[in-house]
Amino acid sequence: MSMIRFDNLSKRYEGGFEALRNVSFEMDAGEMAFLTGHSGAGKSTLLKLLMLIERPTSGNLLINGKNLNRLAHSKVPFYRRQVGVVFQNHQLLFDRSVFENVALPLQVAGYSPGDIGRRVRAALDSVGLLEREQQNPVALSGGEQQRIGIARAVVHKPKILLADEPTGNLDPQLSAEIMALFKRFQDVGVTVLVASHDINLINRMNMRIMRLNQGQMEEDGISYGGY
Amino acid sequence: MAATSSKARDSGQRGARGKVLSRGDKWRGYRYHHRSTLQSSAVKMLREPLQSLLTVVVIAIALTLPAALYLSVENIRQLSGGVESSAQLSVFVTKGARGPAVEGLGRQLEGLSGVASVTYISADSALEEFKAMSGFGAALQYLDENPLPEAFLVQPLLLNDATRLVTEIRQLKLVDDVQLDMQWLQRLDALLDMGRKLVLALAAALGVGVILVVGNTIRLAIQSRRDEITVVKLVGGTDAYVRRPFLYTGLLFGIFGAVVAAIMLTVLGFWLAGPVDKLAGLYQSQFRVTGLGFGGFISLLLIGGAVGLAGAWLAVGQHLRNIKPS
Repeated sequence: MSMIRFDNLSKRYEGGFEALRNVSFEMDAGEMAFLTGHSGAGKSTLLKLLMLIERPTSGNLLINGKNLNRLAHSKVPFYRRQVGVVFQNHQLLFDRSVFENVALPLQVAGYSPGDIGRRVRAALDSVGLLEREQQNPVALSGGEQQRIGIARAVVHKPKILLADEPTGNLDPQLSAEIMALFKRFQDVGVTVLVASHDINLINRMNMRIMRLNQGQMEEDGISYGGY
Repeated sequence: MAATSSKARDSGQRGARGKVLSRGDKWRGYRYHHRSTLQSSAVKMLREPLQSLLTVVVIAIALTLPAALYLSVENIRQLSGGVESSAQLSVFVTKGARGPAVEGLGRQLEGLSGVASVTYISADSALEEFKAMSGFGAALQYLDENPLPEAFLVQPLLLNDATRLVTEIRQLKLVDDVQLDMQWLQRLDALLDMGRKLVLALAAALGVGVILVVGNTIRLAIQSRRDEITVVKLVGGTDAYVRRPFLYTGLLFGIFGAVVAAIMLTVLGFWLAGPVDKLAGLYQSQFRVTGLGFGGFISLLLIGGAVGLAGAWLAVGQHLRNIKPS
């Protein structure tokens, strides 16, 4: 069964702008793919639908075989706990330490303090920033902040990892490191979908690329752009 | 806590990937979360001491005013209660009534409903008493005959029965007149009723005020924590989770306000105790000011807490929905 399935899905915003038009695709569990296209092509809208920040106007969105259209408002938080999200601006909170930032998804889900400590350190270790746990994220570099954001997105071991322009503000070498990190989560069975317009970078990754153009799926296939 | 959770792990309650939380783990996590939310709410209040103090004092004043009025009414009611028990009807017997008929009237009076006791005062003993009390003893010697009538003192069970008893007794044979000198007590009782209603109205009006003050404070807190709320919602925080710290803040404001109000009332009580004692001394009364007491303190805490919580709930309901991740 596919982990993510878009079934003829359209999204029209209030005011008439049609962000997505009849988009269909599937992703298997443990698959990794890139979502690309010009700004305004619908990448962010597609991710917002997957996070249930927005609801589709028509069509079906199935996660692990379950139709999200029928998910009640009160169940949305529990769905979001199966998903990890990395933002372009990382959305870290500067009024607390790195540790507390990464611990947030676990606190929200009601983990005990002992569990939280163990899991947060495991997540920080996986992004190579264990020694930063007591620092304030404001003191970290852009690349480090983004890795903290990734640690927060994976600390609760989500089935799906979404990233919206995760390398938007980073130089090419840091970007490649971040992408390699995503690849490692795919290797342990997480379904990873990364929205990015960094064509050069994603072409080198030899991965499935979905290209949106004006709300429609224009291209969906594996690119071997490294040659 | 760490020891118990590692025990749970050893007994293999969790799945291989550690995703499954046992019910015990959840309960521990939930309790821990509530405790830490309460702590951080308190810490956040202390971080803005002036703003918090202002809110607490406003709540305290709003609680003190109706509470002080309530205590005054209760104290006056106690005082009047002391006098109430000595409220008596004087029943004067028609002149010339004979002994057995007067005794019959006494039995009739005892038989009326709402009568606690009946005391017979003969014309002679009344005259003796008058001579002794009035200081007109010498002058009274010149009277040919005793001008005073035979009388009964009727003690009603309840002050409210007094007026009814007056009309009933007036209709009895051999009764010349009935006097009730306690009408001012009934007026006082009516006044106290009005006072109690006033307490309720004042409490309601100030209660609404407190709810709005707490609501406004919480609204500001919500706005200053917008980013945090957005992130918490994105990582799967339920509405209840997002609401909780603000509800705790409202509750704490209410309880702190109630504590300060209790202190203000105690100080007020001490301040008034001196003059009241002096006044009571002048009236040869044993009256003492009754304060809030333990039960009253607990009620004040409950009311303060409830009002604070209500204010927070109002603000949270209005403003949290507006914050959506984008």
